Amino acid sequence: MTILDRFTCEEAFRRIDDYLDRELTNGEMGLVHQHLEICEGCAREFRFEASLLDGVKRKLRQIELPDGFQARVLAALEREGLGG
Amino acid sequence: MTDFIDPQPAGRMLGTTASMDAASVRPPAPASDAPPPGTFQELLVATLPAAYGYALRLSRHRADAEDLVQEAALLAFRGAHGFEAGTNFKAWFFRIVTTCFWGRHRQQRRRPQTVDFDDTPDLYLYGRSAQTGLPYTGDDPAALLLDRLGTDRVADAIGQLPEEFSVVCALYFMEDFAYQEIADVLDVPVGTVRSRLHRGRKMLQKALWSVAQEAGIVGQLARREEGA
Repeated sequence: MTILDRFTCEEAFRRIDDYLDRELTNGEMGLVHQHLEICEGCAREFRFEASLLDGVKRKLRQIELPDGFQARVLAALEREGLGG
Repeated sequence: MTDFIDPQPAGRMLGTTASMDAASVRPPAPASDAPPPGTFQELLVATLPAAYGYALRLSRHRADAEDLVQEAALLAFRGAHGFEAGTNFKAWFFRIVTTCFWGRHRQQRRRPQTVDFDDTPDLYLYGRSAQTGLPYTGDDPAALLLDRLGTDRVADAIGQLPEEFSVVCALYFMEDFAYQEIADVLDVPVGTVRSRLHRGRKMLQKALWSVAQEAGIVGQLARREEGA
């Protein structure tokens, strides 16, 4: 790869969501990654976004299932003559 | 040289995710028949916790979430012949949950929108944090703000988004669905998912900031950082 093949900050930033969600091709993932290795400004922005997404996922996924929830769903299915 | 950034490996997050691996260890059902009831029920039971989590983030109330999943489970069993064995059961069931949510929610008055989301810039929280003196660098720069906000306020922020964005965000944040799977659940093109997620994330940042300001968290953290 030559320096001409590398992404600019703008090109890397345009792909921030897809990069963090692994929705890019392997080639594009590599190009973004290489840009982040040499550009501290973009790396800081990407790191903040990654931290935010990860943190929101962690918070939202803290779910306490109600006691007996599964049993109530299965009982409702049985009452309707389904499942069992 | 900076130390960065391996994006979130798919499936790393734990939580209510129910694996569909059960489907892969069973002999395939005959293509022309509905799956055997036992298999279908096992798939459903394995998906119930994840479905409840998703329904809770959509409806925002525990009792409503349970009703929603129960209604979806009944519909799923009645329409079991519509599930193609070997395909993604979770995406199929989440689609039913979403349909049930739309059906119920359409009958309710929409909450007034309290945050103006027009023209929210990229990197909204990053920019605000930097301007206000909150952490915006380091290994996990958003952690402090999110920890102070807590789960309920983060869920409230998602709930403030316009509905087409809150639904896609709920799917995205609650499960490790790929964009295509979210598109399958919502029955929209994958480009629509990409676009809504992009806008939804920006809106969420503004909503989180608004919630943090209202709760006095921004001021507390800024003072703390000043004193540090």
